[in-house]
Amino acid sequence: MAVDLVVGLLGIAALGHAAFSTVQYRNILKVTEEAFLWPPFYVIIEICISLVLCFWAALRVPGQFLPVLPDLEEDRLAQLTENVDFMTFNHRGRIFPLKIDEGLNLND
Amino acid sequence: MANKSRNKNASEKSKTDGDDVSLYSAENIQHNMRTLYYSRTFLSIVGGIVAGILGLTGVSGFLFYFVIMMATSAAVALKAGFKIGMYFDSLNRVTLDGLTAGLMSFVLFWTLAYDIVHIF
Repeated sequence: MAVDLVVGLLGIAALGHAAFSTVQYRNILKVTEEAFLWPPFYVIIEICISLVLCFWAALRVPGQFLPVLPDLEEDRLAQLTENVDFMTFNHRGRIFPLKIDEGLNLND
Repeated sequence: MANKSRNKNASEKSKTDGDDVSLYSAENIQHNMRTLYYSRTFLSIVGGIVAGILGLTGVSGFLFYFVIMMATSAAVALKAGFKIGMYFDSLNRVTLDGLTAGLMSFVLFWTLAYDIVHIF
């Protein structure tokens, strides 16, 4: 986490340095009276590097994604009911076949 | 008799087709959306400063913003391991959410950087 923050700060520092270099470049252009089209080559390289660093930091710093689906194996939480004593299982419902049984093939 | 109930975080968010009820953990969806929003905002700001330094004006600046946002969507998909269904409820959220909010930040820092670098 701290490494990613440092990477992000480096990216922003590189961006600031690129801005400063561009300002100096423009001052040179004012002296030679040329029009500004693109910043110089090394500034563009520096901007690309700082973009890469900032992308890295932007993806890492806010943290990992959490799984959303509730049935994943690694996150199961089984809760047992406490009032099993009050549950009756010997009722008329025992006649109905379970859905699992219908899939079973008992004629091996 | 064990009753396996759902994860504590889960709250019902069912899809509209009748038979298939999918439960999403709303707390985790919110966390993921917040993460995505932070990433997008930061990259909008950085993109704005870059557009200002490069001296982009007019339509090309806005095109640059959309390029940065598409790159962000691709990077987020990469971060999620391309299993977007596991972390978000729809692909549209990954690509379209936060686009307008980022646009405001982008324009702000774009004009700021452009003024600092090219005018003053």
